[in-house]
Amino acid sequence: MFRFQSLDEDCTLEEEEEGLIEEEDDIDQFNEDTFGAGAVDDDWQEEHARLAQLDERVRDGLAGGDASSAPLPPPPGSVPLPSSLPRPPTSTLPPPGLEERGGGDLALSLTRLLLGSDPAIAGVGAAEPDRSCFPPMPQAPPSGLSGPSSSLLSYQQHQHILHRGGVPLPQVNSHSIWENNMGFGPVSVSPGLVTHMEDSPLMSIMKEVGLPKRPLPIRGEDGLDLSERVPPPRSSSPVIGSPPVRAVPIGTPPKQPLSHALNQQIHCPTAVHVRAPVQHRYPPPFPERLSPNTLLNIANAPLCRPPFPPGVGPVLSQIQRAQLLNSQVGPFPCGGPAPPMLPGGGGGFRPFFSQPPPRVGPHAAPPNHNPIRHNTTHLHPQHRRMLTQRMQSRGDRGGRGGDRRSRDPYSNLMTQKEKEWVARIQMMQLQSTDPYLDDYYYQNYYEKMEKRLERDKDSSRKEPTTKLITPQVAKLEQTYRPVQFAGSLGKLTVSSVNNPRKMIDAVVTTRTDDEEKREKQVWNKRRQILYIVEKMYSLLLEVQDFEKKFLQTPEEQREALLEQHKTHTLQLYNSLKEKEWDDRVSDEQCLMIMSVRKGKRLISRLLPFLPPPQAAAVIMGIARNLPALAKKDKQDQVLCWLVEPVAVVIQAMSSSALTDLLQELQGSEGQLPRVLQNKFGVTLLYLILSEGERMQSSDPNCQLMDDNRWTELVFSVTRELLKVPSSSLSPPLFTPPNLLSLFSRYVDRQRLELLQEKLQITALSR
Amino acid sequence: MNYMPGTASLIEDIDKKHLVLLRDGRTLIGILRSIDQFANLVLHQTVERIHVGKKFGDIPRGIFVVRGENVVLLGEVDLDKDCDQILQRVSIEEILEEQRIEQQAKQEAERRKLQTVKERGLSIPKADTLDDF
Repeated sequence: MFRFQSLDEDCTLEEEEEGLIEEEDDIDQFNEDTFGAGAVDDDWQEEHARLAQLDERVRDGLAGGDASSAPLPPPPGSVPLPSSLPRPPTSTLPPPGLEERGGGDLALSLTRLLLGSDPAIAGVGAAEPDRSCFPPMPQAPPSGLSGPSSSLLSYQQHQHILHRGGVPLPQVNSHSIWENNMGFGPVSVSPGLVTHMEDSPLMSIMKEVGLPKRPLPIRGEDGLDLSERVPPPRSSSPVIGSPPVRAVPIGTPPKQPLSHALNQQIHCPTAVHVRAPVQHRYPPPFPERLSPNTLLNIANAPLCRPPFPPGVGPVLSQIQRAQLLNSQVGPFPCGGPAPPMLPGGGGGFRPFFSQPPPRVGPHAAPPNHNPIRHNTTHLHPQHRRMLTQRMQSRGDRGGRGGDRRSRDPYSNLMTQKEKEWVARIQMMQLQSTDPYLDDYYYQNYYEKMEKRLERDKDSSRKEPTTKLITPQVAKLEQTYRPVQFAGSLGKLTVSSVNNPRKMIDAVVTTRTDDEEKREKQVWNKRRQILYIVEKMYSLLLEVQDFEKKFLQTPEEQREALLEQHKTHTLQLYNSLKEKEWDDRVSDEQCLMIMSVRKGKRLISRLLPFLPPPQAAAVIMGIARNLPALAKKDKQDQVLCWLVEPVAVVIQAMSSSALTDLLQELQGSEGQLPRVLQNKFGVTLLYLILSEGERMQSSDPNCQLMDDNRWTELVFSVTRELLKVPSSSLSPPLFTPPNLLSLFSRYVDRQRLELLQEKLQITALSR
Repeated sequence: MNYMPGTASLIEDIDKKHLVLLRDGRTLIGILRSIDQFANLVLHQTVERIHVGKKFGDIPRGIFVVRGENVVLLGEVDLDKDCDQILQRVSIEEILEEQRIEQQAKQEAERRKLQTVKERGLSIPKADTLDDF
């Protein structure tokens, strides 16, 4: 169409030419439908000039003009209008013309005027002789057209001329769009009507647009008529994941009233039997003919597929529907017992029919279910087993409930397809490329459960522990580029569920990691500590994930990964240790970190990953500062988290290190009593002693007795233990069994008994 | 047919009687007819139940469409267990009256509390900037 051509010249097509052109066509189609053909984008100056010229010609032509109204008012009067209205000046002219209706003259004058003012038409070139002089006056004799409503007339005239003029190309474009999107096609006009083509504007529309195909009353799978529940057509941007754009946007008044109005106003000699588009209110939700593009959309985005089958039929009343449904209710068990497994395709609900499908309820399977299968995650096999058991137990109970439901006339308002649709949307959220990343706790939980079951039960269970395989879902297009139309201001207001409108173009700026900046920002001491802890945590997590990564990387890259791992570990330790000394942990650092609960947790997780000397240094640091730590821990009481990793480290320690550790623990004056007051302290002490005892008893050559330090230390410990009142002695987490033998080495019987009583260590204690 | 095993999905609850608690404190009891991915609910033959003390009253409301975000919780009602055993059903007027009395008493208590607090020179910040209720 001509106006499209002018648009093409104006706008700069930066994006795909084809797509844009189509969209522009669509827009103008929308425009047209909304505002009528008056919404022509033309140049008012040009038009003014033309009209002025015409006016001169008219003045020359018409003798003694009956120009009661000044010849020029219409053009100047109309001049400001295009700027305010989307319609051209033509919109103002018909009303005055209609008022001064002079019989049949009106239509012709109007015709000529409108045709002339429309630059598109004027530019056609297939000019009729009488088109050259267009009186601006509404008094020139019309052609054989009666006076229809203005906007429609102009549009129709337009079409009319186009037909005459025979402009081929843009029409084809519009044809193709409409065919694809609306399922409309140009209706072949019956021969009897052809002769009246000029007379009946509606026919021209029909020829151009075509009538909507009357949707056949197709019943849904459940025998439901869903026509009354067809949602209004969605207007959304034509990107992947959205349904194709409708030619008729939301908010378009249905063509019904217009056609009625037309019918009334057309004074045709012969009765034109127009099949008014009664069903047109909602075009079918899915086009009859699917372009490959839309097919792709269907395949990729289940969201875009509305739950209704294409081609819905006429309306059923509620009662009728209820009756229909009643008859259908029978085969639907609603939580019935689990029948034998169906292979993959049964039921039309894809996500759970993987190998092997857990349970499938029998139900009225739709004969023409969607053959497209969507990628989904599989359940963990352990999970599946549990669910099967649960379902079976529930199935027994559900039988009685099903009976009640059969008497409910309103049941199954939500069809099977709708339920599947909702479920599919929910399942979409579960798709993931990396299950360990997205659903870590789920995976771990079921793995633990499996391990526990294996431990508890006999290994005579034949069922193999299946590994969870999740399909790698290809990541769909991530970046959303908002659909823009060149020449328009700002962004589109239309958006769909898949591509919500991006309101703000927010750009993420990353801050450079300057020391000064960090110092400035992090002013709060506690915040600073937490910050450090956070950093260490991220390092720690890297270290922890190392093993998994290691298994996944190919051989060549393993070296690099190993190196990286070592650096990380080193970094972790470095952050803890003293600036100068390599084998001593900085007290303030340690205290700082351990004053926060998170820090304590961090240390407990960190210890297993440190090499033994470094781990030993850390523990020394802890022991040295134990009283202070204990005091700070009063609120949290989480020092005991450290017991396990510490125990492991201690057992790997050398005898000299052990002695050192014991010394540290007793370090300053009065430290030991305070240590004994704290649960963790006592446990630590016991661990050390127990380890020492183990060393002594197992290895006769052990160096523990080489110097007297160990003996002395143990003596002082026993002295302290005896001295300290029972009330201030905290019960440990556990008492190692060989303490008794340890003490028996160093103390006499009497004291031994006292100790025994105090510490409640028996030969059989755990 | 088991939809969404191992997840909390409402599909299995369709066509069953449910009790729905809304964010504004209302209690609705109705048959759940339809849902969508946002857990918007369509309740059929809905009854709004007002509880005051041990008494309750039902107001029949018809069909409700509830936006999903306004639901606090919902659960299936066991049709076998009769609610009249523990609670006492009263007429609508009576329960509304009771509710009004309860509201008044609450407001009175609140006012008095505020008064005493003010006398002591303290102030309790109003929670109107926070989320509802």
